[in-house]
Parts: sequence; structure tokens; C-alpha cells
Amino acid sequence: VFDVNAIVSHVLFSVLFNEVRYVHTPAELLRVESAAKQNSDIVVSHIPVLGLPEHRALMEAAFVYGTKYQFVQTTGTLVLKHMGVVDPSSSQARLWFLHCKGVSRRSDPCPSIPMRKPLNTINIHTFLQLMEAPLTEAVLDPSDVDVVHMHLGVPVLYLFSQPQTQQLDRATAQTLALQLRGEVGVVLIHRDSPNVKTSLKYNAAYRLPQEDVKYFTLNSAEGVVKLFKEELLQEHKSEEEEEDEEHWSDLDILDDEVSESVYRDRDLMLDLESVIELTSDTFQITVTQNDVTVVLFYFKWDAVCMAFIQSYIEVADALEGMNGVKLASVNCGEWTDILLCPLTYTSLVSNPYLLSSSAEVMSFLEGDLYSKHMYLTPVRVLGLFSSTHDMGVTSFEEAARLLRGETILGLFAHKEAEQWVEGLSVNLPALLVSRSPGVPYEVYSLPSSSPTDLVSLIKQVELDRFPELTVENLPWYLELEKPLLLLFIGKEDSTESTKALAEIKQPLSSGQLDSFLPCWIHLGRTPVGRSILEKYLGFVPPLPVLVMSQLKTGEEVFLFPPERPLMAKNILQWIHDVENGQEQPAGLIPDGKWGPPVPFFDFLAIMDQEAPTYAAQRAPKIKTGGREDHREQKHVTPNQRQTPHPSPNPQAPRQHSEL
Amino acid sequence: MSVILLCVLSLVLAGSGLHGRNASVSHEYCVLGAGPAGLQMGYFLSRSQRDYIILERNAGPGSFFQIYPRHRKLISINKIYTGRRNKEFNLRHDWNSLLSDRPNLLFQRISRELYPNADDFPRYLSTFVKELGLKVKYGADIGRIKASDFNGNQGYILTDQNGVSYQCSVLLVSTGLWVPQQVDFLGSDLVEGYESIPTDPEEFKDQAVLILGKGNSAFETAQSILGRASRIHLYSPSPVRLAWQTHYVGDLRAVNNELLDTYQLKSLDGLVEGRLEDIAIVRREKDGGKRRTLYLTLTELLDQNGNNISKVTGQNLPGFHTDNFSLRQPYDRVIRCLGFRFNFSIFDGSARPPQSSGARGRLPGITAWYEGRGTPNMFVLGTAAHSRDYRMSAGGFVHGFRYTVRAVHKILEQRYHNIAWPATKLPISQLQSWILRRVNEASGPYQMFGVLGDIILLRGSYCEYLEEFPLQALPQLSALSGRPLTDHGLLVLVMQYGLNRTDTLGPGRAESEWTKAWRPNFLHPVLYYYNTLPTEKDMRQRPVGWPLPRPEAVHHMVEDFLTEWDQPISHSQPLRRFLEHCLQTDLRAFYAESCFLLSLTSRTPPLFCRQGYLRKQGIVGNSHLWQHAREAGLMADHHGDITPGHDTSVSEYLKHADAAVVSAMNFDL
Repeated sequence: VFDVNAIVSHVLFSVLFNEVRYVHTPAELLRVESAAKQNSDIVVSHIPVLGLPEHRALMEAAFVYGTKYQFVQTTGTLVLKHMGVVDPSSSQARLWFLHCKGVSRRSDPCPSIPMRKPLNTINIHTFLQLMEAPLTEAVLDPSDVDVVHMHLGVPVLYLFSQPQTQQLDRATAQTLALQLRGEVGVVLIHRDSPNVKTSLKYNAAYRLPQEDVKYFTLNSAEGVVKLFKEELLQEHKSEEEEEDEEHWSDLDILDDEVSESVYRDRDLMLDLESVIELTSDTFQITVTQNDVTVVLFYFKWDAVCMAFIQSYIEVADALEGMNGVKLASVNCGEWTDILLCPLTYTSLVSNPYLLSSSAEVMSFLEGDLYSKHMYLTPVRVLGLFSSTHDMGVTSFEEAARLLRGETILGLFAHKEAEQWVEGLSVNLPALLVSRSPGVPYEVYSLPSSSPTDLVSLIKQVELDRFPELTVENLPWYLELEKPLLLLFIGKEDSTESTKALAEIKQPLSSGQLDSFLPCWIHLGRTPVGRSILEKYLGFVPPLPVLVMSQLKTGEEVFLFPPERPLMAKNILQWIHDVENGQEQPAGLIPDGKWGPPVPFFDFLAIMDQEAPTYAAQRAPKIKTGGREDHREQKHVTPNQRQTPHPSPNPQAPRQHSEL
Repeated sequence: MSVILLCVLSLVLAGSGLHGRNASVSHEYCVLGAGPAGLQMGYFLSRSQRDYIILERNAGPGSFFQIYPRHRKLISINKIYTGRRNKEFNLRHDWNSLLSDRPNLLFQRISRELYPNADDFPRYLSTFVKELGLKVKYGADIGRIKASDFNGNQGYILTDQNGVSYQCSVLLVSTGLWVPQQVDFLGSDLVEGYESIPTDPEEFKDQAVLILGKGNSAFETAQSILGRASRIHLYSPSPVRLAWQTHYVGDLRAVNNELLDTYQLKSLDGLVEGRLEDIAIVRREKDGGKRRTLYLTLTELLDQNGNNISKVTGQNLPGFHTDNFSLRQPYDRVIRCLGFRFNFSIFDGSARPPQSSGARGRLPGITAWYEGRGTPNMFVLGTAAHSRDYRMSAGGFVHGFRYTVRAVHKILEQRYHNIAWPATKLPISQLQSWILRRVNEASGPYQMFGVLGDIILLRGSYCEYLEEFPLQALPQLSALSGRPLTDHGLLVLVMQYGLNRTDTLGPGRAESEWTKAWRPNFLHPVLYYYNTLPTEKDMRQRPVGWPLPRPEAVHHMVEDFLTEWDQPISHSQPLRRFLEHCLQTDLRAFYAESCFLLSLTSRTPPLFCRQGYLRKQGIVGNSHLWQHAREAGLMADHHGDITPGHDTSVSEYLKHADAAVVSAMNFDL
């Protein structure tokens, strides 16, 4: 469109290219904000279509005020959402003023005020002026005061101040000015001047544009805000807040995903056939009868237990018929005398799997035996010994017991074990690690050592140097507390993904990435990865995509520039740039505190309301020690009433009353 | 009877003075009396391998129960069948057993009656002594206790009837109450005592009986003679208090209340209120002296000067002045059933605890941790310690004081052996579950409602859980328990009955709406949250009827008809939100997938993920459960929210569709 608006806006856009920041995502905006904090205020504008009059108005404003404020322009709807717009699909241009200059701490957010009028040069000008001068002071009668607001066609509120209460009045005026900023100008008038002749019975006045001053008496600051917001300005109430609060206001809705999902199953009769219910009478016998007894201790009323028991039954069904392994459960609500009914969830998997043929080894690494515990971890560690008489076997078995629940171990002590290390530079006994079916095994020689040394060796070899992060294995890798170099790859194994994986793998061996944890997430296998990307960047860019996230050390997330090819040398260069602060973060990881998700039900407040003295501490005067004293006094009184009258009055015995 | 006993005691004292050189034994702990409280303490002392001795004047344990209750029916519930196998829970309905680590050392081994015969109780106690090998010295009748200085600490010297003296660093008085309570009025010598009345109903045949007292012993007596006596009147200052209305087991139990029926159905029995101090019992000869008849009258109607009540005329009787006076007819017997008092007489002045302010001074006054007031290192246990919760809770009864004894033992361990109150260290994420467990099975706070409560010391990411601490001693928590306090505050879990007791059986007596949980009638758990430990002043000024001062926040768990506080909407979630408020943290549980997301997108994920998932104890769940959570809008569906435009999904789907078609065709071939 080549009209005046388009030309002016585009010319100014090029002229002001450095003054007006262009942002796509909330993260980028946050970055601008954090740079501006305590420095300058920000004007954010959302221009859905460039080249229209609104765009021009903004650019003109930027031309005038560009040195004073940081101007930010966006076209994306993500930022709209971030600014609290409910319906981002409407193509209205919008503008906000972010008060970043005055924030006291850098961690505080910048308070934002939306401009409620349509975007044009005059309105923007007015709005910015109002942002500047929330409170003016004067020594004249309201009708004589000349403030910028009147020229701008904005209502003005006048407050009168007495010399004695000046401090207090000023504080009130300031609060009001902040609350009404952008919509109403506030003027504080000092009565000590002889020019002020307003009657003392009023302490406030207001003047709407093109109207006369109206006087009134101010009772509370809230009253004035209400007056303006609800009656005089009559503009939109904020629809957004209500919706949010409604959401969980019904106290009887479960807001815990585990509790709710278990509760929805309350009608489901769990088929406990494959799991033996133990009692204190049967516990000992069962445990001694089977080689491996897995016992789940649970409480019926604990949602986490009941969610877990569903998976447990599935495992039991899968293991049905396996010799020597028995899955059992103990209802700790009933059998308190069995050990210490613990609340932690013990491992399900017996350790190690004793494998007796190469076929079984195959099954363990990628066949049926593998799939049984696939959901736990794809990693399998296999101890290979030439015979069961090998000295290391007992040590390995002991280590396996120690690793119960952490690692799925197999033991193959057989003459065929030799085949599995054939052609490799490793001799038996050996440790074979399979990361996942189809991936080449890694083999390590197994020195004869103590079980605890074996445990740390196994733990070490088990960790991949370039792991695929999954829901199951993340905790093991986060323990390393290294910044993540995280590659997201799409559902389909495209050549691009394979190439990207290879490119990152390349510098691994040289140790250049040692300070990082290079890892990847496959959005097909781990769909939740998509939500992670969205949280990081505010949107999901075309895959594969590489980000650096410094979970423990910093809050910033860096995005490998999508326009650059994902190649080893580019990656190293980029890491270098990030480390030198030459890259702008693409997003932030909030360090939000996980406070209570819903306000609690305040019984004390309700007691105070419904029975005011009920929950109140006693007055210090009454020194009745305990409750029993109190009671005692109570029933002394009625007795005395029944005391016969001291005079030998014939009526006296009547005082004996029947119950 | 008491008079005779006292004479014997003084003789013994005189005797010991004559001999002068007698054996002296010294023990760290002396427990006085081998009743249920003494044996209970003996068990704990023996378990912690302390130097102790239990001194008992009789030849066997629990001698009180050899005589009392006179009509031999125990009214403590021995409920064997609860439908549950949880041993802790079952103690809520077993009021006779003592605590021990022997699972089968329960009263039900001796008797299977709901209201057992009184003879069974001493038998049970003997079994308890024998199987646990408790050190009891029978036949040691302590007549004198005096305070003495042992290396700067107050100790006690006890002297028995043979002059043997026992030096005790710590004295545990569990002598019970066995001195019958008496009221002085003219003619009290004409009154028979509960302790000595005949128990054969035939002896009351066609007799008019006046019973002084309206407690369980009075009603028990009335009940036994109901079928023989012609008229039974019960007289005492206060009206009958029914245990099922007051929730105090010392009030009239329904087991004994048949007389209420015959009174209200006008079958010649009745209840009357009046002061005991004002009455007199006078004798008038009838039928020429053949039949002894007794009249109730008022002191003020008698001749003030002579105190001579042998010559009683009609003028001296209330019926003369008021023709329809309720108690105008004569009685054949007047029986005193006024309960018992503590025997203060064996204590020397220096060792004598003061009389309690409540309970008509019948009990020794003790501190909130059961130490005698002014008698350091002397603790009072059992029924004698009931002044702490008189008419409030169960501290005067076996099913209550077995827990206070355990609490006192923990205090002893801390004070004399520096062994802190046992505490369970829990990660905060498991606190809610632990509280629910206690609420649903713990017997101590359930029986000793309002008196013993669980204390949860908050310590940031974990907490320390202390069971069954005496609530009134809360200001001294650190010193008594040896557990220091931090600035994270504390929670107290108490079982309480409701306070506004309306019509116990009337409509609206039960509350099922959890938001109204603070106005119920029945026993229910209450949690108090304090930033800092309440002071003694806070405690003194606590709201009327409250066991504890006003807290920062309080949570009532709504009473439950089945006493099962395990429902997600009415019990667990409100509790969780209260804990979240106190701890200022999100306590929700998350599936592993959610924790995965939160661990990668937040620097400090929610507590459940930190204490579970990130410690490799995540809860994966299954697709079925996830589906529920997604339908409830609590879990995001990551599969469904693919934004078009960024993905090549459409073409990719087509490719897959092709593959599917191809394979199907292959199959057909």
C-alpha cells in the first residue's frame, strides 16, 4: 500500500530502526524490560498491520519521544497474550506504557498501563503526557488551576490539603494519581494560600472536560477510584481477571492431577489378582518363599499410592508366570505392624535378571524382556562372565542388589558370553551397555572389585555422554548440574535431525563441550518437549532446534540462530559468543516460587465473622487458669440459687427443685 | 474404713521410730502403686532399662479393682470386633488394655465381654506384670514420704510399714483414688458408704433408699437394687450429666442409666438437686422402734443450740412446712456414693503437692507435664493426675492415662537422660499423607482428645513429627522435648469435640459440609499453625473452651460419621490447601511427565517434583490416568496442541497413511 501513512511509517521505521525495538516473543520483551529497568520507561505497541495510520502514529510518536522512552513494536499475538489481552485475534492496534524507570528492585516487574483510546498521534501524545504528570500541586481554586490535562480533554480530580495534614494528603493524592494514571489528572490544592476560597465543607472536586467544577466530600480513596472508574469513565471493566479467579473458585474441584485422575477412577475395581495382598500373618512366609518378592506398601487414601498401584498391577500381569518373582502389596492402613510401613515407593524390578542363553540376552537387550520395562528406561546393563564360577559373579550380584530400582541389570554367566565381546578389544568379564535397541552396544572390561566400586562404575557407564532426555532419565542427568545444550528434534527421523545429532556429537570426543550436558529430546517419543520449547521461546520454531538452558546457573535461554546451519564449528562459535555475552537470550526461565495454587479456606476469618468472640483470646484481666476452673465456676452458681433461704421461712424447702 | 487404715499407718510409723535402724534401698525411679498407671510406667521404665521399682502395699496388682466397682461390672468398653486389623486403630475401641510392644498382651485375652467382670482386670494386670517381667515389690505399704536433698536435687525418701526406706531420685505417684469422698453434715454417721454396702439386692427388698450422688457409682448401686427396692431417690448438687451428651466418660454412662427410665416413666424412682452441706439426716423411731426410719431435713430446721438430733419432731422436717416437699417420705437406707479422693496424708509437708483448684480439691495440683506443683522430681500418674483434664477428657481413665504415662516417660527420658522426644523426620511432601495416617489410626490423640496432640516442627524442606505431646505444656516444648524450634513455625494436630453442644440426638447434630467443619458436635481433627511457640501468657488467655491459644491459622477437618478422614474432596484437599498456606508452597502431586516439564522450565520445580521425581521416585502413572487428568484440564495434552504452519505434519500424516494402506494391501495378498 503506497499511501501517505505507509510511506511515512516506513520512512520513519527505517530512520528509527535503532530506536524502535522489534520483538516477536514475550521473552524478547522481557529482555528489553530488564535492560530498561531503573533507566527509562517503555512504550510497547502492537501493530497488527504495518503501514496503516496507527503505525504511522506510533512512528511519529517515536520520532518525538524516541530519546525519552524506549519504543517497542510487535506484530505477534504471543506478546498480546503476555500483556493480558484476552482475545488476541482482534486486529486492533494497542499501546501500553511500562513504568520501568521507577521500579525499586530489578526483580520487580514493570507496572504496565494500557492506553484505552484508539491509536492516533493526538491520543498517544495525550497518553504520554499523562504518564508524565500524574500529580500536580497548586495554590489556586479549582476553576483557576490550569493543568495540561484540561487541554488534553481529560477529567481532573482536585484534592484540598490542610497545612497540618499536608504529608498525609500528599501521600493520598499520590496513591490516587497512580491508580488513576492515564485516565484522570490529579491536582493537590493547598488551602494555606489566600487564593483558595473553596468552602471548607468540601475536601475534593472534579471537573470533566467541557464541564464545570463539581465539589464533593471525599471519604476514602477507594470511593474516588470507584467513582471515576465506574461512573465517570464508564469504561470496560477488566474482563480478564474475573475469568482467572472463577477458575478454581469452586472449592470442591480437585486441582491436583494425581488426585483428580485417581478420583475419576473411584468406580473402578482394581483387579488385584496378580498381586498378593499380604497381611502380618502371611508377610514373613511369602517373603521367604520366593526368590524375589516385591512389596508395595500403600495407603488407600493416598492418591499417589493408588495411581502407582495401577502401574504396579500392569507390571504384575506382565511378570505373571515368571518363576521366583512375586509381586505383593501391603495395605499400610491396616497392617501397621509390618515393619515400618514406609511411604516411599520401592523398586519393582528384580535385580539382576539371570539370563541363560544368548537368545535370552537378545530378548533382554531388545526383545520381550526389554519391552517389559521399556517405560522405565531403555538402558540395559549386562554383566558378562564366562561361567557362574567366576569370582566376579557374586560381587556383581551384590552390586545389582544395591542398584535395585535404579538400573536394569542382566547377568549372563555362560560359556556363550564370549560371543558378545568377540572382535572387541575387551575380554571377559565385561560390562555391556545398551542405550536403546538398535544403537551399538558399548562394552567395558569389568575389573574385579568390591560391590560398591562396581556400583559407581555401573552408574558411570550408564550415563550417556549425549543422552536422549526422557521423562524417565532426566533426574539422573540433572544431577550433574550442568547447563544443558539441548537439541529438539521432530517426530520424524529426518536426515536433518540425524545430521544435527552427528554435528553435536562431533566435538564431544575432543572434550570441548565438557562444561555442558549435550542432550536431545525427541518430540515424538517425548511429546512434552514441545511444551518445553514453547515455554523457552514462546513459540515452536521449525525443528531441529538447538537451545542452551542454564537451569542452575542463570535464568536465560539461548537459541541457536535458526538461519545458521547446525554445524559443529558454528555451534562452538555460538557457545563462545554466548559465553562472552554477545548473544541475546531468547527466553527466560522464571525462578518462580511455587506458592499455594489456591488461597486456603480461612476458618479463623469465618469464625470472627460468624461468632466474633469465639476465637478471640481472653482479656488479660480474667485470670482463670484453665478450662476446668471456668467450668467449676459455672456450676457453682446454679447450686447457690438452690440454697435454702437462711430464715426458717416455711417456704424455703420449696427451693429444692426436681429436675 | 479409712479411719481404721489411718490408725494402722500411725502405728507403723511409731514402730519404725522404735527400731531406728532399718534397711535402706535406693532406686532412680520409684513408682508408688501397682495399678494400671504404675504398671504402665513400669513397662516404659523397664523398656528403657532404667533402675526402677514399683511399690505395692497389697499382694497383687490393681487391688482397687478387687473391691470396685462394687457391683463388679466394668463399664470401660472392651470392643474386640472392629472390622479392622490395624492394631493402633483398634486401641481406639479397647479401653482396658495397657500399652506394650507385645501384640497379644491385650485385655481381650482375658475377657471377651464388652463390659467385662471387674475380677478380670487384676488378672490382666498380673499377666502384664508376669509376661513383661516388671519389678514390683508387693506388701510394701508406704506410710510416709518426705522430700530430701540428693546431691543438690530434690529426691524423696519413702518409708514402708516395716521401716524399710526407699531413696528415690524420681518419684512417680500412681496411688489412684481410694479414699471415699465425704461431706460433713449432721447425721452423716447414719449414712452407709458405697465402699461397704451389701451388694446382694435381696437386702434391699421393699426398702426406700436415698442415694447421695448422681455419678456412675450412684447409678450402678441404684441399678443393682432397682428390682428390689421400693423407692430410690438420688440426691446431689448438680443435675445428671449424661456421658453421651457431654462426651466425658466420667459422666453417667448409658450402661448404668436404667433409673432414668423408671424416673421419667413415673415408676417411683427420682432425681433431686440440692446442696449436700445444707442437709441433715435424722432418725425417727417408727412402729415402736422396730423399724429404723431416716428423714432428710435441713440443718437450719434443727435446733441450733443443742445439736441434739435424737428428739426430732415434725417441726424439724421440711414436709411439715411444705406439704408437697419432694423428699418428705422416710427412707430405710441412705447411701453415700460421692466418689473418691487422693490420699494426701502419706506426704510430709515438704513433699505434699497442693490440692487441685478444680475437682473440689480431691486431686493433687500438678503442672502441665504432670509434675507436682512445688514438688520437683515427683510426678503424678493415672487417675490421680486427672486434675489436668477433669471433666474434659479421658486422663482419669485407663484408656486415657496409658497415653499420658507414655508422654511423661518421654519427658523423663529427656530430663534425666538427655534422650530427646522421639521424632520422625519427614520430607514436607509426605507430611499430608502422614497427618492423614495419624488422623485415621492414632489412638492417643483420639482417646486423650484436647489434651495430647501431635506436634509438627517445620524445618523448611522437611519437618519433625512428634507424637502425643501434652498440649498445655506447649510453651515449654523445647525444654521438655529436647527438640529446638526454628523460625519456620509449628503445627499442632489435636482431636476435638465440637464446642456448641446442641441437642445430641436432635436434627442438625452432624455437620457434613467441610466449610462448616468448625461447628460440629463430634470428635474431629483440628490443626493449629503457629509462627512462633505460644507463650504461657498466650496459653492462659486462650479463647474460652479452646485447648490452645488463637493460632495464625486453623483448620478443622469435618467430622466424619465413620471416623474415616480419607476422602479427597472433603478431607484431603482442604487439608492440603491449609498446609500449603502454612508452608507457603505448592503441595500438589504431579506425574513424572509434568515434573519433567517443570524441571526443565523452572529453576525450582514444585516440591513434589523435587522430593520425588528428581530423587528418582517419580510417579509415572499410565495413559488411562493421564487421560483423566487431561480431561479435567489439569495436564496439558502435548500431542494435540501442534500449531499448524510450523510443522510439516499434514504431508507427514499423508505419508503414514500411504504406508498403512500399503501394508494392508500386502496383508490382503
